[in-house]
Amino acid sequence: MTQFFDYLILGLTRGSMYALIALGYTLVYGVLQLINFAHSEVFMSGAFGSYIVVHLIVGTGKGTASWAVPFVILIGMLTGAVTAAVIAWILERVAYRPLRRRGAPKLAFLISAIGASFFLSTFASKIFNSQTSDQFPAFFGNGVVFHIDGAKVRSLQLVLILGAVVMMIALDRLVNVTKLGRSIRAVSEDAPTAALMGIDIDKTISRTFVIGGLLGGVAGFLFGLNFSFGYNMGFVPGVKAFAAAVLGGIGNIRGAMLGGLLLGVVENLCLLIPGFTANYTDIVAFVVLVLVLMFRPTGLLGERVGRAA
Amino acid sequence: MTAVQTPPKETVRPRRKQPNPNLPWIKRLIACLAGGFVLALMIGSQEGTTSDYGYAFRKAVFGPRIVIFLGIGVVLFLAITFWPKIQPYLIRPGFWPLLSGALAVVAAQGLMHWDDLVGDARFQTVATAVSSTSGIAPLASAFFAWLAWTQLIVLVVAGSASIIFRLRWLGFATAALSVAAGVIAYIAHKDVIDYSGAADHSLGYAITLLGYLVMAAALLVAALTTAEVAQSRVFVGRVLGFRPGLPLVILGLVFTVLSFASATWFSPSNKNATLTDTHDLLNGTGLAPIALDYLGWLGWVLLAVSVIVTGAGVWLCHRMLSWVGCGVGVIATILTLVTLYDVSKIGAQYKFDGATGPWQNLGSGGWMAAGGLFLIGAGGFIAASVGSGIYSRQMKGAPGEVAASSDTKAATSFLSAPGAGRSALMIGIAVALFYPPTANGFWQQVLVTEIGVAMLLAAGLNVVVGWAGLLDLGFIAFYALGSYTTAYLVGSLPKKPPSWLHMTPLLAIPFAIGVCLVAGLVLGAPTLRLRGDYLAIVTLGFGEIIHLLAVNNPAGLTNGSEGVNTDVVQHTHSVPNPSIHIGPLHIRWGLAQLQYWYLLLVFLVVIVLLFRRLEQSRLGRAWAAVREDEVAAQATGINTTKVKLMAFAIGASTSGVAGVFFASQVGSFTPDNFVLNNSILIVAYVVFGGMGSLSGALAGAAMLTWLPEFLKSVVPQSDRLMWIGAILLLMMIFRPAGLIPARRRKAELTHFGDASSSETRAVPAGEGMGA
Repeated sequence: MTQFFDYLILGLTRGSMYALIALGYTLVYGVLQLINFAHSEVFMSGAFGSYIVVHLIVGTGKGTASWAVPFVILIGMLTGAVTAAVIAWILERVAYRPLRRRGAPKLAFLISAIGASFFLSTFASKIFNSQTSDQFPAFFGNGVVFHIDGAKVRSLQLVLILGAVVMMIALDRLVNVTKLGRSIRAVSEDAPTAALMGIDIDKTISRTFVIGGLLGGVAGFLFGLNFSFGYNMGFVPGVKAFAAAVLGGIGNIRGAMLGGLLLGVVENLCLLIPGFTANYTDIVAFVVLVLVLMFRPTGLLGERVGRAA
Repeated sequence: MTAVQTPPKETVRPRRKQPNPNLPWIKRLIACLAGGFVLALMIGSQEGTTSDYGYAFRKAVFGPRIVIFLGIGVVLFLAITFWPKIQPYLIRPGFWPLLSGALAVVAAQGLMHWDDLVGDARFQTVATAVSSTSGIAPLASAFFAWLAWTQLIVLVVAGSASIIFRLRWLGFATAALSVAAGVIAYIAHKDVIDYSGAADHSLGYAITLLGYLVMAAALLVAALTTAEVAQSRVFVGRVLGFRPGLPLVILGLVFTVLSFASATWFSPSNKNATLTDTHDLLNGTGLAPIALDYLGWLGWVLLAVSVIVTGAGVWLCHRMLSWVGCGVGVIATILTLVTLYDVSKIGAQYKFDGATGPWQNLGSGGWMAAGGLFLIGAGGFIAASVGSGIYSRQMKGAPGEVAASSDTKAATSFLSAPGAGRSALMIGIAVALFYPPTANGFWQQVLVTEIGVAMLLAAGLNVVVGWAGLLDLGFIAFYALGSYTTAYLVGSLPKKPPSWLHMTPLLAIPFAIGVCLVAGLVLGAPTLRLRGDYLAIVTLGFGEIIHLLAVNNPAGLTNGSEGVNTDVVQHTHSVPNPSIHIGPLHIRWGLAQLQYWYLLLVFLVVIVLLFRRLEQSRLGRAWAAVREDEVAAQATGINTTKVKLMAFAIGASTSGVAGVFFASQVGSFTPDNFVLNNSILIVAYVVFGGMGSLSGALAGAAMLTWLPEFLKSVVPQSDRLMWIGAILLLMMIFRPAGLIPARRRKAELTHFGDASSSETRAVPAGEGMGA
């Protein structure tokens, strides 16, 4: 049972990361009907941006006063969000907008996004030495906060889950209540009509990218803090987050949150199966993805997508 | 999130006022500077210590070099801003040819080899060596010290001035000076080579000479013409279309004469024997009389006869004569090859120092002659086969009218001239057949292990991505399946096949195709009903799964990250080299890369022929229909899922064949050969070359594999993916149809502005986020 809770907590932490990234995919998918292949690199750039700033503030983190830790984490999340948002904005301007202006076919968007993704990750490996360690230095203590049936819950895990939940609630409110949220929903509902209603589509799309970048950047910082960090950190979480978005029903925001958490939990609980080693965890996401596409292409909460088009 | 809840109150803000008209100007400047900044970070190798994340960044940004790159940004900004004022000058006749000639010179002096011996043999290295050596002719030392770059700059500036200000006398003067500059480069190089006394295979001086000659021609044209606007395409089209096949005959003549007159034919150690030297050397050694005659006089006679006959046939547009010329060319080519074989064989038997056997120790001369004679024959073939329709039309009007009739800007391709496409094909064949033997070992290896395999894979992926419009990001997985299937069947893996199934590598091809077909169907069946972007991500996942499986060694099948190699403990051995034993025919491939090149060529030719048939077939047309508009395709009765599955399976099996070749050629490999990046690289090849055009895919693969090797010492290996990514991005923005656009795809990409199907629009109506 201890093991079960261990894996559950691990799954929730990973899952909340997937959910944050998946939101980026799902938002962009909502407004453009396109998978933003470069979103995993947006996530990665957030991690790098926050690393630089946090490194400047606390060095390797040794001897940081405990009262300062929450602030530094906050700063890390903030800088990560800002960096990733800037990258996402540039990405939209460079890789998407010129093609959209020309009305290019879908394949062209996918390829330009893949090119951007390749470029960004190798570029990061070039300017931030690719041989360095694969995790942030241990900036902060990672003490056990409490136990659930013998399973330890660590402080960073709590920060991760709480941070993700707060972001998700904020996004939910943003999309449902504010004017920007309404324009995003309107564009994803029916772009031409939205344009007729006086919504600036370009601006809305741009802002959607920025919102996705903000979420991804926060995830990047938290992920680097807890799991891995490096120029190629984006790929695997990116693909899994995409699987999560599909699982929840791509284009559906709450679906992405649910799918992310679910995927993280399932992936880790699979380890309870005897004979299932950690080497195969990466396969779970893909199997889930294929199964969902086969039996419920609309995902858990989605309704409209998935038909042949 | 079902119903949209309207917030109770909404304060109506006034619309923002009109943007400041000056703003785009600032934005553009910032964008250009940012571009220069990124370029500064991209160029150069700035590896730091492993503990320092910021080293490369600081080195790239904090230093004088940043000024250059920001300068590039500023120049770019100025160019874009003042484009309307600059553009009329740029389209003056002769301007672009002048620039491309200059570019060739820059490339030759910046990147290419100038010597066989000195270090990396680049221009700069040779120049350093020359400056530290006394006794070299003054012209050569001056050239290598300062003249080379100075003359280039002076000529470019003077030439541009003559074009911009229409100074006719300056144009003539610079043209003459250009020729002189090229000759100086040639002489200087020859002086250095004579001084060092070593054999030389460098091409730097030749490209430099060529570049200067192009510049001279451009300046002459610019000085002589009265036209305001250059029509290079029409001009080239007219030249090519003047007499179909004539360019090939001229090219072949030049090559063959060069080879007969000065190139090395036979080179055992310490000898570089030309044609006549070889004749004297091997006279009376038991060389077959025909070979001896060839070396003595027959070669020249064959050349003369083939050129005269073919030339007459081509010039007079006489079909029969052209066929005869073609035949003579082919016979001459075969005789050349026979002579080469005999020379190398007899040379080895006669125990020339260092002569090792048939097809060894041959200089580039023989191959050049074979290629040249082949081209002459090809010229005859083209003239004979282009079609009487064109002849009759052409004979009525002035020659070249056919090409000129496509005078509009729409005729953007040189290949629209009659016979030009076939000429390009023939040149390609000649290069593929006769260039590799003259290349050095490194390039032969690159040719086989990178260029050839990439071309095979690109041809396969082109079916999936280009024709059927399905983005397959796990293509390399099928390649892996093919390789591992071969390894299993030849018993190279720890798990052995049953003894009746044990076989040689080439026999594994059908099995590999079968395995890949099945895998393609299994993967495709559930996902191909879905949208294209789902497919992309699922195939990506599939690629990763195959890679992970290969690494994780399920059931001891793949030997894990060790891969396939010779290991006594594991009872594994590397995949044996392929061999063919059918009746009297025994061919065994060994270690020499060249042999594999010709094997690969056979694969390529077969695949290209098959795919060309396929493209025009019912299936090919169905693919195009599905790609353009799936709903409409379905409505016309195409079973879209089946058609897409076919594309997927055909692409997969091509990849499997490439895998068989790869496995048997390298012998040992690891799962790392099949990482995701390789899949995306192949996509890049296809996209770069032109989606949906077979020749484009092949050319794209060849270019993008050749270029990184060519620039090896300038662009670090680890940066390749960055540049490839940038190329993909820029290609999609500026030239989405690729290097050699497919006819159909081109129409689609240039006219999609008015299309309104969901496939061609980024934001289709009526599909929502479901928020």
